[in-house]
Amino acid sequence: MERREAIKRTAAIMGGVIFAPSIFGVLSGCTATGDPWKPVLFNQSQANLTKSLAETIIPETDTAGAIEVGVPGFMEKMVNEVYTEEQRMVFLEGLDSFDSVCMNSTGNLFADLSSDEQLEYATEMNRLALSDQPMGVLNFFLLFKELTMVGYFTSEVGATQVLRYEPVPGYYDGCMPFEEVGRTWAT
Amino acid sequence: MNFIDFAQIMNINIKAQNSNTYDAIVVGTGISGGWAAKELTEKGLNTLVLERGRDVKHVEDYPTMLKDPWELPNNDQLSAEELKMYEKQSRTGYTVRESTKHWWVKDPEQPYREEKPFNWIRGYHVGGKSLMWGRQSYRLSPMDFEANAKDGIGVDWPIRYSDLEDWYSYVERFAGISGQAEGLPQLPDSVFQPPMELNCLEEHFKQSIKDRFDRMLTIGRVANLTEPKDGRGMCMSRNLCIRGCPYGGYFSSNASTLPMAAATGNMTLRPHSIVNSVIYDEGSGKATGVEVIDSETGEMIEFYSKIIFLNASTVNTTLIMLNSRSNRFPNGLGNDSGELGHNLMDHHLSVGASGQYDGFEDKYYWGRRPNGFYIPRFRNLDSSNRDYIRGFGYQGGGSRESWVAAVRELAIGKQLKEFVQTPGTWTLGMGGFGETLPYHSNRMYLNFEQTDKWGQPTVVFDSELKENELLMRKDMMNDAAEMLEAAGFKNIITYDAQPPLGHGIHEMGTARMGNDPKTSVLNGWNQIHSVKNVFVTDGACMTSSACQNPSLTYMALTARAANYASEELKKGNL
Repeated sequence: MERREAIKRTAAIMGGVIFAPSIFGVLSGCTATGDPWKPVLFNQSQANLTKSLAETIIPETDTAGAIEVGVPGFMEKMVNEVYTEEQRMVFLEGLDSFDSVCMNSTGNLFADLSSDEQLEYATEMNRLALSDQPMGVLNFFLLFKELTMVGYFTSEVGATQVLRYEPVPGYYDGCMPFEEVGRTWAT
Repeated sequence: MNFIDFAQIMNINIKAQNSNTYDAIVVGTGISGGWAAKELTEKGLNTLVLERGRDVKHVEDYPTMLKDPWELPNNDQLSAEELKMYEKQSRTGYTVRESTKHWWVKDPEQPYREEKPFNWIRGYHVGGKSLMWGRQSYRLSPMDFEANAKDGIGVDWPIRYSDLEDWYSYVERFAGISGQAEGLPQLPDSVFQPPMELNCLEEHFKQSIKDRFDRMLTIGRVANLTEPKDGRGMCMSRNLCIRGCPYGGYFSSNASTLPMAAATGNMTLRPHSIVNSVIYDEGSGKATGVEVIDSETGEMIEFYSKIIFLNASTVNTTLIMLNSRSNRFPNGLGNDSGELGHNLMDHHLSVGASGQYDGFEDKYYWGRRPNGFYIPRFRNLDSSNRDYIRGFGYQGGGSRESWVAAVRELAIGKQLKEFVQTPGTWTLGMGGFGETLPYHSNRMYLNFEQTDKWGQPTVVFDSELKENELLMRKDMMNDAAEMLEAAGFKNIITYDAQPPLGHGIHEMGTARMGNDPKTSVLNGWNQIHSVKNVFVTDGACMTSSACQNPSLTYMALTARAANYASEELKKGNL
């Protein structure tokens, strides 16, 4: 489809690690989520992207989504505190580049797309990232996806409701039918 | 000074000496120090146990033992800023976490120099590394004690397996080692608690390498209880051992030996006590005590005793000895041979292979087994037919890929949440633990010019892997891949991270045992050849490294030496 081609083309043009300056000013307002996260490192557009992309990767279903369990705040805290200065720069510039690529190919910031469009766009970015592109904005997508998943699946909801978690298993059984466990172990 | 003043001073000195005098002093509270404390106090000796770090009480002082993943900030990772405090301690990649950071020294406070790279990983607190150890527990074999003599390497061990056999059993009965008896000559069986289970894929791999190579795979022999013992509960398969266990499910000084020592009423435990040197009396030819720096006040205090056990960990025990200089021993206590600080060994590791396996898709496991499998040494057993001598064992494990694998999958959104609920492909990996030979040129020494904040000289490391180890590593990598291939694995990846010595956290050998005082520091009872009332029973005493995890051997050597020491003391020989 047309948008996919556009994404591919943009990615091919940009290549490598992208250090394009943010072309977006601070946008006012944020989506009403009830998430008490107050960004301390991300600017408003970076925060909006983080929330919308994290929720696209892990949406609310019969269990809570990324925003409700506080994944965006977790991600910012990781980037701010655990990442090295260089990793932090790569992540922040990755956020900006992701949105600028999105703007170029869709005419919208990612956060402004409808949720169907967000899923379609992110799915395509995921597919491209898994192709043989070694670096750049596509690599950033997997970095973002991983951080989203780390935040979600180490949360109480992710670990206990989506996956299975036993704080005190009590014993070890090395070979049993999967259905007796039912879901992947969180840890 | 008039007569009255002099009498008063004499009186005060005698009082101080009396209150600071014990039958025995044990320096260090880790695996071997805990055993020395237990054995000596149980023999009725009034024993002072010195620990350079803070006190850690069993259960009470394990602040993170019950934390769930979501209760730990930043996915249990340290902030980049805080990680700077643990630059060397974190080199292993697994040791320093938010949930374990309180167990490791802060590198800027505990500096050392690396003439060649060396990972010196330490925890300064009551219990030492016995709280964070990997708990793998293997006996050395008759072959290991004979190897140096046979190969003409280093010096001969002054003892044989038969000297230690009963002491292995003795410490195993108390510590609690789970494992499977296999009857292998190169890896004698311990007194075992019931073994943990292998999982489906590990069972398949075991059968496969038995059929194809006639090699053994056995469940790891581990100091985790599979049956309750002496007030300690059995392992609950949480795999959070390193945080401290609320059940006492694994052997540590804090859970096991020190409570027994305390129960005798004969132990005085003194934390915050850095031993600066051993006091040597030229007249009697004996050590009379130790000089201690109180790490909180900076005060220098002397304690006296009839016998002294040095269990400060290999490098720190050696530091204390090198720093105990006198007219008789200008180059360090008991260093007539010049070998003190030399022959530094470790196990060389971080080399092996892993692969994926198609099958057992309907199978899974319950619990987080704090253990893996072990493949006992199979190279150079009957004859040396490789281009290196000695050998290696493997430690490894099988598991199914978790949600992490889904990062590199197409699934996203609702699909992703469903996808991760089914575990991924079975994978199995293993890494070798190789014997390191004792080389005189592999050494640690003291820098007396650069002192730490307590005025102690700092340690310098000058050691490296040499040709025998490097040649062995090729087999360690290729044999692993070959076995995986034969067992039907796919996507096999080999690796050799080439870490420096110290990475195994099995440093040993710097005050070796031997028959000849001219070429070794300790005799067959772990006594300093020339100062018989000082015993060294931590890793410093090791004459060769073998390839088995060494802690069980330190336990057995310590129990043996402590019982000998108390008998000799009774006979008036010390």
